[in-house]
Amino acid sequence: MRRVRLAIPAAVGASALVLAAPALGAPEARRGEVWFLRDGRPVSVTRVAPALPGLVRSLLEGPTRAERAKGLRSAIPAGTEVRELTISRRVVTVDLAARFAAGHEEESLTARVGQLVRTLRSAPGVVGVRIRVEGGVPVGLFPGYDLRRTVRAPLADRTAPGLRETQQLLVDLGFMAESGATGRPGDETSVAVLAFEKWSGLPRDGVLDDDVARALQRATRPEPVRHEPGRRVELLLDRQVALAIQDDKVVRVFHVSSGAGGRTPVGSFRIYRKERLSWSVPFKVWMPWASYFTGGIAFHEYGYVPAYAASHGCVRMMARDAPLMYAFATSGTPVDVIPRTA
Amino acid sequence: MNRRRLRRMRNRRAFVVIAVCALAAAPLAAQAADSTPPSPVSTSPPTSLVVALGLRDPAMGAGVVRGDTVVLARGFEVELAKLLARRLGVPLGHFVELRPARRLLAGASTSWQLALAGIEPSSVARAAGDLSDPYLTTDAAVVLRRHLPRPRALSDLRRRTLCALRGSDSARTITTVVRPESAPLLATRPDRLRELLRTGACDAALVPSIEAGRFVRGHARELGPVTGRVESGEGLVVAVARASGLDVAAVDRALGQLRRAGTLGRLARTWLGLDPARLRTLR
Repeated sequence: MRRVRLAIPAAVGASALVLAAPALGAPEARRGEVWFLRDGRPVSVTRVAPALPGLVRSLLEGPTRAERAKGLRSAIPAGTEVRELTISRRVVTVDLAARFAAGHEEESLTARVGQLVRTLRSAPGVVGVRIRVEGGVPVGLFPGYDLRRTVRAPLADRTAPGLRETQQLLVDLGFMAESGATGRPGDETSVAVLAFEKWSGLPRDGVLDDDVARALQRATRPEPVRHEPGRRVELLLDRQVALAIQDDKVVRVFHVSSGAGGRTPVGSFRIYRKERLSWSVPFKVWMPWASYFTGGIAFHEYGYVPAYAASHGCVRMMARDAPLMYAFATSGTPVDVIPRTA
Repeated sequence: MNRRRLRRMRNRRAFVVIAVCALAAAPLAAQAADSTPPSPVSTSPPTSLVVALGLRDPAMGAGVVRGDTVVLARGFEVELAKLLARRLGVPLGHFVELRPARRLLAGASTSWQLALAGIEPSSVARAAGDLSDPYLTTDAAVVLRRHLPRPRALSDLRRRTLCALRGSDSARTITTVVRPESAPLLATRPDRLRELLRTGACDAALVPSIEAGRFVRGHARELGPVTGRVESGEGLVVAVARASGLDVAAVDRALGQLRRAGTLGRLARTWLGLDPARLRTLR
């Protein structure tokens, strides 16, 4: 068993670690990772430090002025000192002063353990970390971590969800059917993202990029413009989406393309005619799943549904969505066509 | 002669077997005697108070376990213990960890006089110590999604999609007390539960009332208000060790004074984010 002990009086603090570094068998300075936070997410920076103690000292010192300007922060309270740092069987035991546990913001307490574990685990050969505070075992102080045991890995970064989780968010928010959360990219996800972008005022490209992912993390379910009971449909011309509403709750948001140049009439209507397959006399085209709400204007399936208003007045819908709207908007269902939303 | 010797040998063997059995049974008997609740012997009041904590989270109680004691203790129950010690007129000695709370209570291993460790009244707890009046409710709090009208009664909740953590007391409260028309959504993690509420997949979440303040903290723009509570338990109580020299009636009086003075409510708001006692009960 290789056991090296660095006993550092609290008063001497972290600076003494550098002097004691050769005891760990790595006298020469080398590059290592130190972990901070940006927007709550863990981010590593490279430091040239003499092995573990140097890395810990860099971590406790926090980000440099330049790094702070780039948005890097540390959840570890300034002035935190190391009381002792030992390594045994590739497990580092770090004993910190009480300041490490200061505050009771749970996210910060959890994040600082994550920073320490990530930094120490990034050193070659380290397989685990034991954290002590004032020589004792912290219990219940750092939510999510059982520090009675050796910590082998930091808590998973929950701020970066995978595709499956993002699709589930789109389902939960009402932009996609439950069957769309497959974990695989595809047309259904793109259309849901496009509807979300339209609703949120983001650039309408249907691409699930970082901006969309971030917006999804904060988004709440769309609210109807008018608050009325029962089953209704709202067509929002500025956002180019249709809302299926049941008892004042938006149950589904559809990506649509309405009449170009204001050809879709504004007002309050009701579904008065429904045709599973309708023939458009003026434009000589079949319109599947047609639900007419005023004159010859209907929600219907169409092969091309761009992100902007492009039709002759009808409301174009994707092939997957049109049957759902057809089923939802039964005869007599109120349809409010609203030109502008807040 | 041989028969007599044989009989004597048998007798000796039987004696040895009985003796061995008796020796083996002695510790078990002693253990059994230890596990019975101690008789309520009244002793003189303690000169300093040793308080057992549950050490579950930074809001209710947490600290650093060093040897037999807990240092750097903090949380609602820690502050309440300090206040109780003052009201009882006994100087606070130190904190110890009660781990796991229920098993130690059952064993009546009382190195402490008071235990504030998230103890709910149960037959096991009652057998081991005297239990005070509740100092915190364990009812389920109702957190709404944004823009949802506040429910006035349980019947308003029944029409909604409810959610809770899978396997939690709140999930049980949904099925046994609220009994909604549609099946509740059960999340596996608190952040997923928050997500269900934020996205409107769920209309109202039931969470333990002592966690509701922390559940909504920092998410005011995404979630609706904590609107009320559904009765589902008796509450958290202080356990007073028998033969500790402390009277549970005195603890009850002290808790009552703290409640009337608004100190309990203030402590709850400071550490838990809200005072569960102020939430309206939905019936």
